[in-house]
Amino acid sequence: MSTVTVIDPTMTATREIEFRDALREAMSQEMRRDPRVFLLGEEVAQYNGAYKVSKGMLEEFGPRRIIDTPISESGFAGMAIGAAMMGLRPIVEFMSWSFSLVAADPILNNAPKMLYMSGGQFGCPIVFRGNDGAGGQLGSTHSWCVEGLYSNVPGLKMAIPSCPEDAKGLMTTAIRDDDPVFFLESERMLGMKGHVPEGDYLIPFGQAKVRREGTDCTLVSFGRPVNFCLDAAAELAKEGISCEVLDMRTIRPLDIDSIVRSVRKTNYCVVVDQSWSFGSPGSEVASQVHQHCFDDLDNFVHRVHSADVPTPYAFNLEQEYLPNARRICEAVRSCLYRA
Amino acid sequence: MPTTVTMPRLSDTMEAGTVIKWHVKEGDTVATGDVLADVETDKATMEMQTYDDGVVAKLLIGAGDRVAIGTPIAVIAVDGEDASSAGAAKSAAAAPTTAAAAVATNDEAPVVVTGTVVMPSVHADNGARARISPVARRMAEELGVDINSLRGTGPGGRVIKRDIEAAATRKGSGAVAAPASIMPVVAAPAPAAAASMPVVAGPGSREVAVSGMRQTIARRLVESKSTIPHYQVSMRFNMDPLLELRKMLNAQLEPQGVKLSVNDFIVRACALAMAQHPYFNASWAGDRIIIHGEVNVGVAVSLPAERGGGLVVAVIRNADQKGLRQISLDTRALAEKARTRGLGPEDMMGATFTISNLGMYGVDNFTAIINPPNSAILACGAAVERPVVRNSQLCVGTELDATLSLDHRVIDGAMAAEYLTTVRHNLENPATLLV
Amino acid sequence: MLSEPSTSRPFDVHGKPGERTSAPAATGRRDAVDPALCRQWLRDMLMIREFENRCMQQYQDKKIGGFCHIYIGQEAIAVGCTAAVRPNDPIVTAYRDHGHALARGMAARHCMAEMFGKIGGCAKGKGGSMHMFDREHHLYGGHGIVGAQIPLGVGLAFACKYMDEVIDGQPNSRVALAFLGDGALNQGAIHEAMNLAGLLDIPCVIICENNGYSMGTSIHRGTTMGHDIISKAIGYGIDGYVVDGMDVLSVYHDMSAIVEKCRRESRPAFVDMRCYRFKGHSMSDPRKYRTPEEENQYASDDPIGRLKLHLEERGELTEAVLKEMQKEIRDEVREAIAWSEASPEPPMSELYHDVFVEPHGPFNGTSLPQMLQGKDLR
Repeated sequence: MSTVTVIDPTMTATREIEFRDALREAMSQEMRRDPRVFLLGEEVAQYNGAYKVSKGMLEEFGPRRIIDTPISESGFAGMAIGAAMMGLRPIVEFMSWSFSLVAADPILNNAPKMLYMSGGQFGCPIVFRGNDGAGGQLGSTHSWCVEGLYSNVPGLKMAIPSCPEDAKGLMTTAIRDDDPVFFLESERMLGMKGHVPEGDYLIPFGQAKVRREGTDCTLVSFGRPVNFCLDAAAELAKEGISCEVLDMRTIRPLDIDSIVRSVRKTNYCVVVDQSWSFGSPGSEVASQVHQHCFDDLDNFVHRVHSADVPTPYAFNLEQEYLPNARRICEAVRSCLYRA
Repeated sequence: MPTTVTMPRLSDTMEAGTVIKWHVKEGDTVATGDVLADVETDKATMEMQTYDDGVVAKLLIGAGDRVAIGTPIAVIAVDGEDASSAGAAKSAAAAPTTAAAAVATNDEAPVVVTGTVVMPSVHADNGARARISPVARRMAEELGVDINSLRGTGPGGRVIKRDIEAAATRKGSGAVAAPASIMPVVAAPAPAAAASMPVVAGPGSREVAVSGMRQTIARRLVESKSTIPHYQVSMRFNMDPLLELRKMLNAQLEPQGVKLSVNDFIVRACALAMAQHPYFNASWAGDRIIIHGEVNVGVAVSLPAERGGGLVVAVIRNADQKGLRQISLDTRALAEKARTRGLGPEDMMGATFTISNLGMYGVDNFTAIINPPNSAILACGAAVERPVVRNSQLCVGTELDATLSLDHRVIDGAMAAEYLTTVRHNLENPATLLV
Repeated sequence: MLSEPSTSRPFDVHGKPGERTSAPAATGRRDAVDPALCRQWLRDMLMIREFENRCMQQYQDKKIGGFCHIYIGQEAIAVGCTAAVRPNDPIVTAYRDHGHALARGMAARHCMAEMFGKIGGCAKGKGGSMHMFDREHHLYGGHGIVGAQIPLGVGLAFACKYMDEVIDGQPNSRVALAFLGDGALNQGAIHEAMNLAGLLDIPCVIICENNGYSMGTSIHRGTTMGHDIISKAIGYGIDGYVVDGMDVLSVYHDMSAIVEKCRRESRPAFVDMRCYRFKGHSMSDPRKYRTPEEENQYASDDPIGRLKLHLEERGELTEAVLKEMQKEIRDEVREAIAWSEASPEPPMSELYHDVFVEPHGPFNGTSLPQMLQGKDLR
């Protein structure tokens, strides 16, 4: 569905870098390619980024394109949207997506609706990015998973990478996309290492990736919990349960075709989503699977979410709160009637 | 979307049906409630109606064809759809299903009996349709597995994928043993209705076509007799007080057109005894016994030759809660219906105990085969005058011999004796039957 | 410049401004403006008034749905500000936006058809009264959420400056105008936007159309320092000015000076544009919060009346010319209504159109409205 040429990442040399480096490479390569692209946000320039994602970018691109903002999310998000309406391609960094809530009006009321409300006159080619989900004992106000809230809104795209390679490919696609993209990273993954191609490459939106093939149960996830799914799949393999792990990579658009293909093979589906269960991407996936795979299911779609409570601070409670591998294993066994 | 009409389930034990006659032809316009066909079930010939308005796009089977429940048999185009294309699209899709169903029909394994043991009790408990996961339902169709023959291993007895796979494996390997989880103690039974010895038609012999009902009787009774550990316990009842009471009551009831039969008293006596002996109102369910909540007494009714002969069991529901007068009226109405219009599924489903009475033919005593999923059947002979000893005096008394056939998995001999004692007390003190 | 309230004008909804209000020197004398240009402004203001009157009528005839906010009384601001900027200087405003659209050059028919929910509307009938957009005339909306358009306006100005200075390597050439009402003064977004504009040297002129009422709440009941609102901008390091928004010549002269200063210095400005809303906040406002006496006083100070008087005093407007002008305008608005009625409703294919640029799933791409087809939009 992408309008740009997809470069096969296997054709270029790779090396092992961190997730944060992959994000930076994508942004820097796009900024070199397109002068309309710029980065703004809190501490992105002189501080080198609160999480060092933009480290060194100020030196390369200067303060006119790597812009430190005050702590003022509503203001700078709105300003970036105005700039995008005129054709620039801003990248807005939210230090945490938790802080985007004070910018809810511009990012939800303006960016995704501008094209529609202007009758096709003004689009909004913008990327909002930042850390999503529990960072590790940050308490509830700083541990938001915004995908449940924001994916509800038509007109935006939402990418949630689970590994460094995807982080780069999806970010490049996000920056070149003509529609607003919400790009959800995870503080807990920024240090994750992986093989990432050196050159430009794009991962089209709306194409899930099979991260592990299996025959007995389809695990559908996106973002950090994909890694929990892989852990769970390894554990379940010891019990003779073969899980297929699907990494959605974007949940808007959602690659329901890949999910359907897998579920028709396995007849069981467990959705793992770190947002809260009520009105979440997980509930949407479950609903669509029930719609498209009704006659292929041997059990209802099981879901593993964060617990339906504010994120607790205590280490043990937070671990239990998250959709961890143990909870995923339990859900798979239950779904397969092996509990 | 065109609507696919499938072979309906018209009785509790029906597994397949035969279209005796189509009342419609392709191209006919039908409205909800219209009769599409006469379908012969294992028990009776029933009218089958449509639930959709539309045009009959395709009849997928012909008159005389027998297919499993759920098999598509017709397509109805609704909402102004093009009937010919709707029919064409569906008939292609239906063909393999029908073929699969035919395989299933030919390969009816004795495991089916476990279904007849369990499914009605599940239905009686829930009043709902069989629980089955969507993919299991689809696989059952594709693999020709009769879902009514299975007890699911999922939550609440849901039939799930592995149950179908296990059933399909059994079919494929030709094994006939029931799954261990369903009937762990039962040895592999003999094939159902097949004759055990080669039968050669000699000179002067002739062949008579066997009706669906006769096939069902044959199959079910073979299954019953060969899988249920039967044994019998008999007792003789003094009928004098009862006959005296009956005479008095019938004199009073005559102006109302009510005439109580001896059998009505027996039904009442047996039903009332269930309160003290719940295992007589129970079913063996493989790994457990289900004791039913309702006391539904089945009464065997023979059908006249002009209706094809044979035997059906009419059900007096909640017989323990009905008085003699009501039992009498119900029995009479059912027998009348059975011999004229035929009983509907609702008249025949859900018996929990059965009585077979050949007293009217002058039979002294006999034994009956248990009607699955019951655990007992009472065979009653005629009330006859005999020389008897009462109060150390030889005199003439009227007595009736009754013989219980029992499922030893559920009921032991002493229990049977106790039950019969209660029944005898009820019959010999008939005033208790009036309250 | 702003005149002192006299004793014969007892009502003053704004209050006496503070000391730090001097505007840059006016670039010319009031009677130096070309009379033909003045007559054009008169025509533009009369056009807005007639259009808004007919809007009220169409609203009451249920041709227009939803909310509808009438601009009558404030026409001098949209017309004077538009005259003071270049055609490619972007502007953005709030929901009382019909006047800005017309002043900027949108044809009345596309503005009316939008309110009628027809495909011929500027946004194909998907925006409505509060959401007028015109890419050809650099109007970046009408926006419905109070104050939300100010960060956007700052962003428009940021983009102008970025394109010139960062991409093209030349001095900044454009200024953005961002309009708000005095009711928006207490929204956090405008304070964040002013801070950013001041901090990042963004050439955005933030114009507060201060009509004294935030819906039904007078400015003094809802806003601290209501008599001196430019003090808020000054707190963000932004120059503030008080301008008489009831006089198109003042608006033109003062805004020209302010805009050119912002363009030259690439800096923001804030304008307390004092005016009066002759009608209610919206079509459903009974206006119980102010007296007929107050309304009558301001009505007698009608900006259209002032401009007529000015032209008549200069001998540049005859009754016949005015009559002819009014007739033309009536006909034009009548034609706009007829055209809008004849314009078809949006086809159902529009429901999933313009959601995403890129077609995927049920979303069938995007296209420009009828109004812009065949136009050169750079």
